[in-house]
Amino acid sequence: MPLLEIKDLHAAVGIKEILKGINLSLRAGEVHAIMGPNGSGKSTLAQVLAGRETYTVTRGEVRFNGKELLTLAPEERAAEGLFMAFQYPVEIPGVSTSYFLKAAVNAVRQYRGEPELDAIDFLKLVREKLGLLEMDPNFLSRPVNEGFSGGEKKRNEILQMAVLNPRLGILDETDSGLDIDALKIVAHGVNSLRSPERCILVVTHYQRLLNYIVPDFVHVLREGRIVKSGDKSLALELEARGYGWLDGPAERTEVLSYGF
Amino acid sequence: MIEPTTMISTKAELADRLAAGPSSTPAWLAELRREALDQFRAIGWPNLRQEEWRWTNVAPLTKVAYRIPAPPDLGLPLEEWREQIAPYSLRLRGWRELVFVNGTLIPQLSEWAGPDLRISALSAAVDSQSALIRRHLARGVALAQDGFTALNTAGFQDGAFIHVPAGLQPDRPLHLLFFTPDHPGPVLVQPRNLVVVDAGAKVVLAHSYAGASRQPALTNAVLEMVLGAAAQVELIQLQREAAAAFHVSNTAVQLERQAAFQSLTVNLGGALVRHNLQVRLKQPGGQATLLGLSVQTGRQHVDNHTLLDHASEQCRSSELYKSLLGGRAEGVFKGKILVRSGAQKTDAKQTSRTILLSEDAVMNAQPQLEIYADDVKCTHGSTIGPLDEEQLFYLRCRGISVAAAQRLLTYAFAGDVLNRLRHEGMRQYLETLVRGALKGLSLVEPPVERKPTREEKSTENS
Repeated sequence: MPLLEIKDLHAAVGIKEILKGINLSLRAGEVHAIMGPNGSGKSTLAQVLAGRETYTVTRGEVRFNGKELLTLAPEERAAEGLFMAFQYPVEIPGVSTSYFLKAAVNAVRQYRGEPELDAIDFLKLVREKLGLLEMDPNFLSRPVNEGFSGGEKKRNEILQMAVLNPRLGILDETDSGLDIDALKIVAHGVNSLRSPERCILVVTHYQRLLNYIVPDFVHVLREGRIVKSGDKSLALELEARGYGWLDGPAERTEVLSYGF
Repeated sequence: MIEPTTMISTKAELADRLAAGPSSTPAWLAELRREALDQFRAIGWPNLRQEEWRWTNVAPLTKVAYRIPAPPDLGLPLEEWREQIAPYSLRLRGWRELVFVNGTLIPQLSEWAGPDLRISALSAAVDSQSALIRRHLARGVALAQDGFTALNTAGFQDGAFIHVPAGLQPDRPLHLLFFTPDHPGPVLVQPRNLVVVDAGAKVVLAHSYAGASRQPALTNAVLEMVLGAAAQVELIQLQREAAAAFHVSNTAVQLERQAAFQSLTVNLGGALVRHNLQVRLKQPGGQATLLGLSVQTGRQHVDNHTLLDHASEQCRSSELYKSLLGGRAEGVFKGKILVRSGAQKTDAKQTSRTILLSEDAVMNAQPQLEIYADDVKCTHGSTIGPLDEEQLFYLRCRGISVAAAQRLLTYAFAGDVLNRLRHEGMRQYLETLVRGALKGLSLVEPPVERKPTREEKSTENS
């Protein structure tokens, strides 16, 4: 059984439909990449899965780990093991990174009926993960994302993923705004989180990130639909030829089918 | 003193009562009180047509028939009084404390021993320290400013007189606690404090106002303070009046050369509250930091008016006022920065931030800059809006519930002010109080969908 199964997912902002029938299955252990030009709906897909209320799901269903995902609040999805790394991580002045991480870890543990971590066990856990992302421990005392560089923000996202240990990790354009060194560190962190129990969905505009996080499957999103799927070689082809050649018949068929 | 338990209803009757007051004070003070009374008769209570009062309607407090309360009945066992003031006392935290009940100093409840500071009731010091008091009393707060300052000068009951001699740095901070117990009817309490900090001295002072009155008591307090050259003062004002109470305070601070002043005004109680805080930077090199935090719910109305008067060159001021408004609470912040001609190299920064936690809460914030010098830097910014949706979503995506995320964000918002307070013990104390107040705000409702209004402006003249 797939860990994540998306069937005919449609989503809109107001009356503007952005996702127009997404079908996708991810099995545990797999890494999938969603690629596509700007405006194709790839970030929307990530946001809808995380539970952002800006989008209205108008049709379709999503099952995650055997549960109906779309009926869950964002915090319940997180506690069920869904994690989205933000494209633009949010600054939260006045809340230290360690306080935030501890609140998150313990909220998730509470949901799962596990005892809360005490300060010592929590620090042990976090310190181990900090090393993975080559982050200084004094990072923990800084307010969440405030004054962080682009690279620090993205590393902080992956740190949270490592600490929360989700079943599904969604990386929403995690490569945007990263120089090559930061990209390598982030990719190394993600790769170390690959495991047979977990699947990862990498949303990206560019193939560059996929040199470091090598996917099992690549899907191309265009105008709210997956127009092509393949293995990692598809990403290389897109890199060489761009997205133009994929002007799928979908949109034209749609227009004709209105049949005046 | 004024006859206790006398009913006063109108402005004229109030003035008559005060006029019939004591004649035992020194002649100069009697004269000052008479002058103040004439002022009060002439200008009366403020009203909405006055620019400085357009957002705060004091009509409810002017229609109440107040009694001037008698000094507390010390026939009651002292233990009972101790119990009543215990929730507000800082004695156990190592502070010196002067406790005033109904505006009268109660030595049996107070403790200010120590050879260093000169502390006494103002009423007692009027005789013993006459010259010093005469030099400073009613010099910071203008009688003509509004009816409240005139009324206080005309009829103040008592307060603290504190003199910190040059270079002195007392080992313990000092707390003035003004407590109004429950009365069968409305009462008027008028504390008056005078603080003289000589050159190079350094002191931490808190004044708090608390009450148990179920009737609409009015506290009308005035505090005047002068800082000599290079003196350093931290002044904390904690307003925890009873739910039905009116509270008006006027605080005037004057800084000489290189003096440094930090204030924090915290509002957790009261029904109708107005603070006027004016800081005058009289000589070069002065520094003032003004902080404010209000946590309001129900129909509480809290108005903070501040005036930073840059009267000399090379002075710096920075100001941060924050409000968290739930229920149908109303907040007002008006911050005026006055840069007088000749006050070159002034560096003034003012920020006010408000989070509206309910659709019915209202905030009016207005900066006002008056600049008569050409080489200054003045900035101001103001934000009013609900909790940040992006921050809430981010926290929820990490498994944190809506209620917990709201608590985290509101506490962080408040903590940003408290963290700037230098005095560690007071900071911890206030953190506990504010945490409690935040728990009292109803946050479980989903945040209101409303676009934040944002204004960030800056004025720079170089």
